[in-house]
Amino acid sequence: MIYLDHNATTPVRPEVLDAMLPFLKDGFGNPNSVYLAGQRTRKAVEDARRQVAALLNCKHEDEVVFTSCGSESDVLAISGGAWQAFDDTKGARRRLVSSPIEHDAVRGQLTLLKRRGFELDLLAVDRHGLVDPGSLAAVLGPQTALVSVMHANNEVGTIQPIAQLAALSRAQGALFHTDAVQSAGKVPIDVQGLGVDLLAISGHKLNAPKGVGALYVRRGVRLVQGITGHQEKNRRGGTENVASIVGFGKACELAAAELDASARHYETLRAKLIGGFLQIPGTRLNGHPEERLANCAHFSISGVDGHHLVVALDLEGICVSAGPACSSGSSLPSHVLTAMGVDAKLATGSLRVSFGWSSTEADIDRLLAALRPAIEKLRRVPAGSL
Amino acid sequence: MKGKAIVAMSGGVDSSLAAALMAEQGWEAVGVTLKLMPREDTGFGCCGSPADISDAKRVCEALGIAHYTLNLSDIFEDKVIKPFIDAYLNAQTPNPCVECNRSLKFGTLLGLAEAWGASCVATGHYARVEEGRLYRAKDAAKDQTYFLYSLTPRELAKVCFPIGGLEKSEVRAKARALGLKTADKAESQEICFVPRRDYRGFLEERAGAGRAAFSPGPIKDTAGRELGRHEGLASYTVGQRKGLGLTAPEPRYVVGLEPETNTLVVGGGKDVSCPSFTAGAVSWTTAAPREPFRASVRIRHRHAPAEAVLTVEGSGEVGVRFDEPQRAVTPGQAAVFYRGDEVLGGGTICRATTGGNR
Repeated sequence: MIYLDHNATTPVRPEVLDAMLPFLKDGFGNPNSVYLAGQRTRKAVEDARRQVAALLNCKHEDEVVFTSCGSESDVLAISGGAWQAFDDTKGARRRLVSSPIEHDAVRGQLTLLKRRGFELDLLAVDRHGLVDPGSLAAVLGPQTALVSVMHANNEVGTIQPIAQLAALSRAQGALFHTDAVQSAGKVPIDVQGLGVDLLAISGHKLNAPKGVGALYVRRGVRLVQGITGHQEKNRRGGTENVASIVGFGKACELAAAELDASARHYETLRAKLIGGFLQIPGTRLNGHPEERLANCAHFSISGVDGHHLVVALDLEGICVSAGPACSSGSSLPSHVLTAMGVDAKLATGSLRVSFGWSSTEADIDRLLAALRPAIEKLRRVPAGSL
Repeated sequence: MKGKAIVAMSGGVDSSLAAALMAEQGWEAVGVTLKLMPREDTGFGCCGSPADISDAKRVCEALGIAHYTLNLSDIFEDKVIKPFIDAYLNAQTPNPCVECNRSLKFGTLLGLAEAWGASCVATGHYARVEEGRLYRAKDAAKDQTYFLYSLTPRELAKVCFPIGGLEKSEVRAKARALGLKTADKAESQEICFVPRRDYRGFLEERAGAGRAAFSPGPIKDTAGRELGRHEGLASYTVGQRKGLGLTAPEPRYVVGLEPETNTLVVGGGKDVSCPSFTAGAVSWTTAAPREPFRASVRIRHRHAPAEAVLTVEGSGEVGVRFDEPQRAVTPGQAAVFYRGDEVLGGGTICRATTGGNR
């Protein structure tokens, strides 16, 4: 199997699995327990917290709150932050700002808050999917409770000017959250340099297992709890998922150590992929030419339905996607591409290729070799693809 | 391995067993469920409702084969739903299942299957294909060849109906023996995209209630005498007896819909019988015959095929003259030509000599 969908999920690295195994066997103590067996797992959790904090360049380790996934981190940040700001100001701060290209976890939570009485401003993006900081400045005010703009987009890979957006927001006293699920481990993330209050990441996108995530919460920022309980310094209840947290920590450590090397590796793969792909007639590259992730590329292909192409490639043993895995099978064109002004028909012909730690040039060669005939055959299907 | 076979799976027992049999026969079976309705929330049993997709997926998991959901709702809307609505607005009674088979299952899906490197598309239809020729199913009560006549020789070379040689009871028994979760699932028989069988409500919602086909008008007998009022021609079909609201000593049947004057014409049993008609949009499963020939002709699902002489006109239309006049030859419905068990072809009834749209 050629796996080129690392934006959907990633394989667990062997070093990560090895780090986890003791905590699925003898190291089962509850890290909140008094006795030694608990103290040992507590140490493992706190070691992992340091590893995650290091990847994000947190000022304090305890700014990392472990959660069950990236979506939970987003929900805790947005809902917890919005309600805290609302409560602290007796309802004066009741406006939210976001972008139209967010992940569904963010979009869904914003929609819920809107139903509960918050007002929502969505900033426009340009044809590369980039938010203009000037448009944020125009809507910010003393009523703004929270701003949430993703770091790197999960479909087209465009990276937002987070530092600028966060500075503008905090100058108005608004909380700033960014969903960095797709960028963590792929590009350097420095929460202090970015100046964000909240930042969400996920384990399974960087070679840790599914079921673990983290939220960076800048010291001093308070959140209304989602899952109530005293764990994670009263910020997130529930007994810690020790083994997965340990794996997550190890994966962050590996990612941090290899950041430069993997960036160079990804650039090589990406150049090869794009060079080969765009030789196929009727194709184009989406996303920002420079401000983007190195590990992925998103293409439009005329006259082909991306889902049909995904099936064709899967039958050849190659995994890629037509869009985010969470919305597979939806008939609607992607909200990201729509917001970027991509024509609805062209948006149907989308293909996202994303690589990771295990990807090789041979994988790209295999994909490119299979792509052209698959596209040509699908274009010949009568009334078929499009 | 015989190669790849795409199995169209609705989530029902028939296509579930079709997938199992293809795998058993050594094909590399790949299940595909077509999602035909655009909305996610269609609660009723249309192809591609969430519950049906999930059933098809569970069956494929149990069989250890791949499964994909394909959203063909745009093509379904264009090729099936819109023509269905237009037909009713034009006083015809359409047959959407024929069109769905033609355009989707053996049109787009077959095309995609070929592009995916599959050598065949299998479905859970009750019909048989032998050496590229189409025959009625072993289970006469379940036979679905009426909806499959539009298969061309090229298509017949690439389709498989693995349950066509089985009785429905055998299908269920085999599905149970294999432990398929759909073994005892109830059948769906209504038009899949019309909720609660309320096709009039569906038409009004889609076309707008103000259309002429929904306005009341006179019911007249064949001599032109007004007998009552109808609720809009879209609610009637040729041969219909119930729901006319007439009290008459003799049974009255709809014999014609006249959209020009918004008149529903009714008559006695004799008026609704028809000695001949013309079929258009004709398709042949083998080479088209040149000379007039005898065949038995089925003019609706479950109609016992009636003997007739068929003449292929220069235009490609086919004139059908029955030995014995047949009841309710309905414009818009399919006419399918059989020789014994073999399906020769068929078309859409466009003009009937008596009854129908005169």
